[in-house]
Amino acid sequence: MACLSSSRLCARVQDKLLCQFGHKVRKQTVFVKLKPPGPSPLRIFGKTCQRVTTCGPACGSSGFSAAATSGLVRRLASSLQSTSTGSLPDYGTQIVDPYRLLEDDLNGIYEDIRSELERNTNQSELNTIATYYFDGQGKALRPMVAILMARAVNYHVYGENSALQPSQRQVAMISEMIHSASLIHDDVIDQSDFRRGKPSVNVLWNHKKVAMAGDFILAVASMMIARLRSDDVTLVLSQVVTDLVQGEFMQLGSKETENERFAHYLTKTYRKTASLIANSVKAVALLSGADESTCELAFQYGRNLGLSFQLVDDLLDFVSSAQAMGKPTAADLKLGLATAPVLFACEKYPELNPMIMRRFQEPGDVEKAYELVHKSRGLEQTRFLARKHGAEAARLAAELADSPYQKGLVVTTDLVLNRIK
Amino acid sequence: MSLSRLCRVVKCDLVKVQSSSALVSKLWGPCTREVSTCTTQRASVAQHNSKPDWNRAVSEAEKIVGYPTSFLSLRWVLSDEIANVALHLRKLVGSNHPLLKTAKNLIYNGKNNMQAWGLIVLLVSKAAGHSPEIPDMEQDKAAGVLHSQRALAEVTEMIRTSHLVHKGLVNMNSRQPIAAEPDDMMFGNKIALLSGDYLLANSCSELANLRNQELVELMSSAVRDLAEAEFLGERDEQNNPLPSRPLPKDQIQAASEWEIITDPLPMSGVIGCAGREWSARHVLAAGALLGKSCSAALKLAGHKPQLQTQGYRFGCHLALAWQAFLDLETFTGPEPASFSLVGAPLAFTLEARPELYEYIEAGKKSVQDVDYHALYCAVLEGSGIEQTKRLQRSHIARAVDVLDAFPNCDARTALANIILAMHHEHL
Repeated sequence: MACLSSSRLCARVQDKLLCQFGHKVRKQTVFVKLKPPGPSPLRIFGKTCQRVTTCGPACGSSGFSAAATSGLVRRLASSLQSTSTGSLPDYGTQIVDPYRLLEDDLNGIYEDIRSELERNTNQSELNTIATYYFDGQGKALRPMVAILMARAVNYHVYGENSALQPSQRQVAMISEMIHSASLIHDDVIDQSDFRRGKPSVNVLWNHKKVAMAGDFILAVASMMIARLRSDDVTLVLSQVVTDLVQGEFMQLGSKETENERFAHYLTKTYRKTASLIANSVKAVALLSGADESTCELAFQYGRNLGLSFQLVDDLLDFVSSAQAMGKPTAADLKLGLATAPVLFACEKYPELNPMIMRRFQEPGDVEKAYELVHKSRGLEQTRFLARKHGAEAARLAAELADSPYQKGLVVTTDLVLNRIK
Repeated sequence: MSLSRLCRVVKCDLVKVQSSSALVSKLWGPCTREVSTCTTQRASVAQHNSKPDWNRAVSEAEKIVGYPTSFLSLRWVLSDEIANVALHLRKLVGSNHPLLKTAKNLIYNGKNNMQAWGLIVLLVSKAAGHSPEIPDMEQDKAAGVLHSQRALAEVTEMIRTSHLVHKGLVNMNSRQPIAAEPDDMMFGNKIALLSGDYLLANSCSELANLRNQELVELMSSAVRDLAEAEFLGERDEQNNPLPSRPLPKDQIQAASEWEIITDPLPMSGVIGCAGREWSARHVLAAGALLGKSCSAALKLAGHKPQLQTQGYRFGCHLALAWQAFLDLETFTGPEPASFSLVGAPLAFTLEARPELYEYIEAGKKSVQDVDYHALYCAVLEGSGIEQTKRLQRSHIARAVDVLDAFPNCDARTALANIILAMHHEHL
């Protein structure tokens, strides 16, 4: 599915390229690059880029130097970026790759987080644990969406000459820090072995120290929030932390009845995942000085994107391989959690109900549930729901003033839906 | 109790050691967890109503600032999450998880120890008064403090409790076999981690509601200091602290001042120097939070930065004096089965007799492997206790200096009484 759509995406990009080929390629053109680079379609894409690069009249050498550290594909794509300083081009229906679009803003964001943490401690082991997950291997989805929204709203409010405010980039960093702090505590709670393809923190260090490192990251993030000196932003972001903990508490118990179960699941998903994205995009909108309805729009975009993201995550837990995910699959079942695919599968296979109630604890439960989910339409229905939230996010983004960043917000909903890890 | 009398008491060199009352050790439940993990039953000592005891000082002080500040109030009992925690705690009963001990200390000693810190913050608030520009709406006229200051006192307690609860986790990653069901321990860790996070998250939103970003920054830096405290110096596999090997005098680096308190505490010249290491450890673990809370209370009242700094000093010195008092307690009653290895009397003893460090090294894996009796005797023989008393007196004197700057009022007297009660135990 993901492959299919990405190749379709590439085909569209190629069409676009060929169309433009006749004209001048002197505009700032940025294309979809799926993260991580997919298999064959992307290679074709790369070649296409190369062809255009060599022929394109306005591709100077400056593009190459800017992307010296990136991989080949990235470099080629980057070379397409013209240096024209004129007015931003009319993108029309062209597809935008948000990660490429924000390359300069996202560049060094992990380094900046690491140095912020380092500045705040004189204990080397604390620094080591706290910076462990900021190695640049993550998708940086949260900072990306925050910056994208920041630029889109700035454009919406101030027009095309608007720039990203330093405080908005801080919020992007803070969102990733809060996320990591919660991952670190999750690791201790769930005793996971691997995360992002490397041993998780609880395997490497004393659990008491790991818990403290999580508190430390939160404290530093909280200091950064305070330094923005905005009461409203602080309130919005403090809500995130409260939501995260309440979400964890909801995950502890499964005492609710069958009717309440799905609502419970959605609320939990909002609190554990969507709240962070929703409130951080709301915070950047507030910092932009946007009016209340725009801030609310940003919030709803983040909420829907977050829900869609987590639904896909729950789906991938059933269909992806352990290798692609960088963490074990069917992990949720093993943790005793009933996510959307299982809850949907319940409609067809009521025998799942007692298993959900006993949190898949009896031998064979996990395997049986896994099998039933695959036999049912649970995965399909989960994808449908994820699409619905994705479409709603895209619809909301479309209400913002037309800009590459606004397009990026729309594309992000696709990226989230079609990701393979 | 007049302030001058307190100063006199503090400044005299009184060395007579009296056996401490079990009451006081109970009052300091969570604090003493580190200090007295002893299982031996302390002989209960009759209370002397004639002398200023801790209990009375605290309960009178409570009356001065209104109802008890403890956050274990009805609104907390009614919260879903707390009910959830209570439910899960029940499952843990019978396991060996330290969370139970922490919870017990919080609940059974709740009235008396939990709120001591919040109480100090409120007393300092009242003693210093507030700027006349603050509207009536924001004042709790009867108690003489601001609503915001009361919220801050609650935040202080929440942060402290959250830290204690997180400290009570069990390291499941140790090479030592864990003397209990691993499943129980894991579940206990989960509940401990979540409960601590819950308190921390609530303190974040309470702070945000105060709408004062300098204050949020200051209090967040206190949370950071508490986290840092758990990394200072040597640790056994359960992260229990061990003192560092004493360095010869000529190898100790110069200490640097901690000028900007929102920056992390500088560590140069700390490790290996008994006095400084003790101070740094307890400033991070206790002094920073109490000091920053007092400072923040004065900020809320609209006082000048200079007085805010004084507030920080007061809280910090008071916390250190308390810690010295707790450290001394180990050596005033019957010999305990085990005690904190990072107490001041032992630190000074090790500094004087570096060869004793051998005993400490035996505890690298677990502090339980240490020969406590040998160390206990060494402390009693040396001058560690005397040095600790001097240390306590110097911190008390510096806290009292700050009190002098406040107008004479019931809150100031109450603070003086609390300090005196603490000091009195060692007369």
